Amino acid sequence: MFKRQVLIECIAALLIMLFLYASLSKFLDFETFTGEMNNQPLPNSWTPFLVWFIPCSEIAICLALMIERTRLLGFYASLVLMGLFTIYTCIILFHFFSYVPCSCGGVIKRLTWKQHLVFNLFFVALAICGITLQRRKFYDSLFITNQKNSLV
Amino acid sequence: MNKIKCLIMTLAILLSIGGAFATRPHFDCRTDVQYYFAGGAYNPAGKIGVNYTCQSSTSVCTYTYNGVSYIACQQGSWLQIPGVTEKTDKK
Repeated sequence: MFKRQVLIECIAALLIMLFLYASLSKFLDFETFTGEMNNQPLPNSWTPFLVWFIPCSEIAICLALMIERTRLLGFYASLVLMGLFTIYTCIILFHFFSYVPCSCGGVIKRLTWKQHLVFNLFFVALAICGITLQRRKFYDSLFITNQKNSLV
Repeated sequence: MNKIKCLIMTLAILLSIGGAFATRPHFDCRTDVQYYFAGGAYNPAGKIGVNYTCQSSTSVCTYTYNGVSYIACQQGSWLQIPGVTEKTDKK
């Protein structure tokens, strides 16, 4: 029980580190981030929405992961966001678009698209582990409460 | 347990904030006017994503001018976006 809780905390901390670092890097160099978003093979009309939506959703996920009551939701949101990034990376790697853009986001921009894919898959796996452990913890606590109630 | 929890979370937050500030670029050449090299001359490139894109490659995509010479700025290969005038006019 204790080991599992520590593991959940570590998984949540790793995801928080990723999302907080990524969102702050974007806000600290907002002009470059906007340029990099324009360089992506997506319609430029999406850029004003995406440059705010991506970092803000990353911060929202961090907050959800920090609070115990919303942690499961945070893990699900992490899975969805990392899943979307992974799908986008796969689309780029399969040359679905007319050109392959340069990758972006703080130090992470130094990664190639293949390294990006491995990096994303690692965090997708972490989010899945987090969901499994958090759900097991929730059902265990429910079972203990039911047992206590039946004893009373 | 609460102590461990607080320690892990504090460490994660401090590391990510510190990391983001530490890796923040102090000077970014991309904020200067960009030029591309074609036909033996440097030409103004325009706005990234609007007029041109940089394809992933090891060559130099755009240059900046410091008053004396042209310095490599963005990595990649320069590619003009078709229908530039319509796209620029809309903006």
